[in-house]
Amino acid sequence: MKLRKPVTLILLITFFLACAGREPTPGVTDTEILIGNIQDLSGPMKELGMALPHGSNLYFNYINDKGGVHGRQIRMTMEDHQYNPQKAVAAAKKLIEQDQVFCLYQIIGTSPCEAIRPMLEENGIPLVAPATQSGTMSDRSKTGWKYIFHTDTGYDKQANILVDYAYELNASAKVGVIYQDDDYGENVLEGIAEAEARHGVTIQKEAFQRGATDFAGQVMNLNKGGATHVIIGGIVREPIIVMKTAAAMGYAPQFLGISPTMDHRVALGSGEAGEGFIAANFAQLYNSDTEGAELYRELFEKSGTDPKVMGMYNFYGFITAMVLVEGLERAGKRLTRDGLIKALEGVKGYDGKGVFRGITYGPNDRAGTEAVVLVENRGGTQRIISDWIE
Amino acid sequence: MTDMLGGLAQEVVSGIALGCIYALIALGFTLIYKATEVVNFAQGELMMVGAYVNFFIVTALLDIPMLDGALGFLLAFAGAVAFAFLFGTFLDLIINRPLKDEPVFSVIMATISMAIILRAVMALIAGPMTRLPLSPFGSGVIKVGGLFISVHDLFIISSAIVLVCGFYYFFNRTKWGIAMKATSEDPMAASLVGIPVKKVYRNVWIFSMVVATIGGVLLAPRTLLDTNMGFLGLKAFPAAVLGGFGSVPGAIVGGVIMGVIETVSMGTLSFYFPWVKEINDIVVWIVLIAVLMIRPAGILGREEIERV
Repeated sequence: MKLRKPVTLILLITFFLACAGREPTPGVTDTEILIGNIQDLSGPMKELGMALPHGSNLYFNYINDKGGVHGRQIRMTMEDHQYNPQKAVAAAKKLIEQDQVFCLYQIIGTSPCEAIRPMLEENGIPLVAPATQSGTMSDRSKTGWKYIFHTDTGYDKQANILVDYAYELNASAKVGVIYQDDDYGENVLEGIAEAEARHGVTIQKEAFQRGATDFAGQVMNLNKGGATHVIIGGIVREPIIVMKTAAAMGYAPQFLGISPTMDHRVALGSGEAGEGFIAANFAQLYNSDTEGAELYRELFEKSGTDPKVMGMYNFYGFITAMVLVEGLERAGKRLTRDGLIKALEGVKGYDGKGVFRGITYGPNDRAGTEAVVLVENRGGTQRIISDWIE
Repeated sequence: MTDMLGGLAQEVVSGIALGCIYALIALGFTLIYKATEVVNFAQGELMMVGAYVNFFIVTALLDIPMLDGALGFLLAFAGAVAFAFLFGTFLDLIINRPLKDEPVFSVIMATISMAIILRAVMALIAGPMTRLPLSPFGSGVIKVGGLFISVHDLFIISSAIVLVCGFYYFFNRTKWGIAMKATSEDPMAASLVGIPVKKVYRNVWIFSMVVATIGGVLLAPRTLLDTNMGFLGLKAFPAAVLGGFGSVPGAIVGGVIMGVIETVSMGTLSFYFPWVKEINDIVVWIVLIAVLMIRPAGILGREEIERV
């Protein structure tokens, strides 16, 4: 009789210790994995804010319909940061503390992603496939690098490749660049600086503000500087207006674009001015005959979405969802944040059903793919004109 | 040197086209201010709404053979202007009438709210994608000497000039225009001499909406159609102040000066003096403050002298 109390006590303590050891992972239940996404739903990049997650959900729903990942359904919850880094921090706080998401995914924009780095570190929460191609995302000297798994080829590498390509087209080319005056442009300039050093040249640089609608001064300067090949570090509207402005001035350099300009609406909207425009892209096109693109088109049609949404950005959401799912699959049934990080570190040469050149991570490697294909616009349609270039 | 002059001349031409866009928006500000002393901060959004309405009709007509060309565009334009009439009346009903006797400040706050609401509602209707309206005037470019100007820009410039001349004539030579001016000076005295003040207010909102629609339709193919295009209104506002707030010719003078300064500072000035690149954003504001220090009422503004 006397012994019973201490025994009960010991039993209770062991029970609590056991429970503490198997603390449930936030956002993961037996039936669901909750992931958090922060998009620009009402700011300058709001159209991407709609297209990207829609594409991702196409793939998540496809996986969910097949029974989910290890029996768990993937559910994505979204916040709006209006491309404002401060709002991104507030949104990330809400997702992590209030909604208790398992991991972050696809947060759009270089500046917003840079702003939440300390929170990733503090909470030990992974951010998979940030929707920016800035090379800084996989920079290991920055806070929280361990938690960011970047999928895309960096803007800096792309700019580098495009400069090389310009010289390949014409050995006596004079290269110029017009870039957005923010983190995106800064990363483009890093690549340009490397290329300048390698080729021993000076490249003319013209900046514009995010959201600008008039580029006459910059285009005029490129013309005055005699640039024969102009790299555009813009998104959709900027390349269209830049090329139209140049055409309206009778200035016709070869325009080359960093991947965000690869959207097919650039081809549609720029008309004759955009004939022959060549943009880099880190993945195969949504209309290519790769298995991944075929699956995308099939699921898109089944979803009954407005066909206008189909395109590069929507497909971008789709293919990065494949990378996240690959990581979740590899992490196994007992899902933890550390487990996901370890699992992703084990990804080697993952080609996402033929869409990527091969995504490879490692304990000290957070840069996914490092290659691009070149896409040319002829008569309003785009086609790939190169093999993978590294 | 000739190179520099050639570049400069081209920038001035491009700057004039850009300035005329500012002028079209500034004209909308001016019209409402002239009659009601209210600054309508939703002017940029009214332009956005007009441009979208035009775009929706053009797109709808595309499916009808016969109407997929110039005729369709004219019909759509007429439709958009008709919508502008209705919408202008509506704005007068919901903003101007209920707040008639309230301080001007309340009306201004109402216009700011209206701007936010219009942006949000249009984003719901039109979706977030940037639309790509085609220029009804094609993508032709005219070459004069060494200078290039697109046909579309020529239309922007001529519409701005025509509208400014039209409204200048209207305010100074016609009965209705003078009635509007009188209303703005003293609504009470105006109604005592038999001016239908309510009607004047309604008409001024309609005019302003129509001007905004014309501006939007002309602007959309150049800047592409986006629910955030109304933010351009924030650039037209200093243009209106620079030209002299409330002065019709001031709108175009202020607009063109702003446009040219902006283009030249981003162009030639930045090219030869790289440090200008760093202050491009504030160059126009520096000029604005400098002008206001010398002429507080703006370039063509009339100084109000009140008897005390």
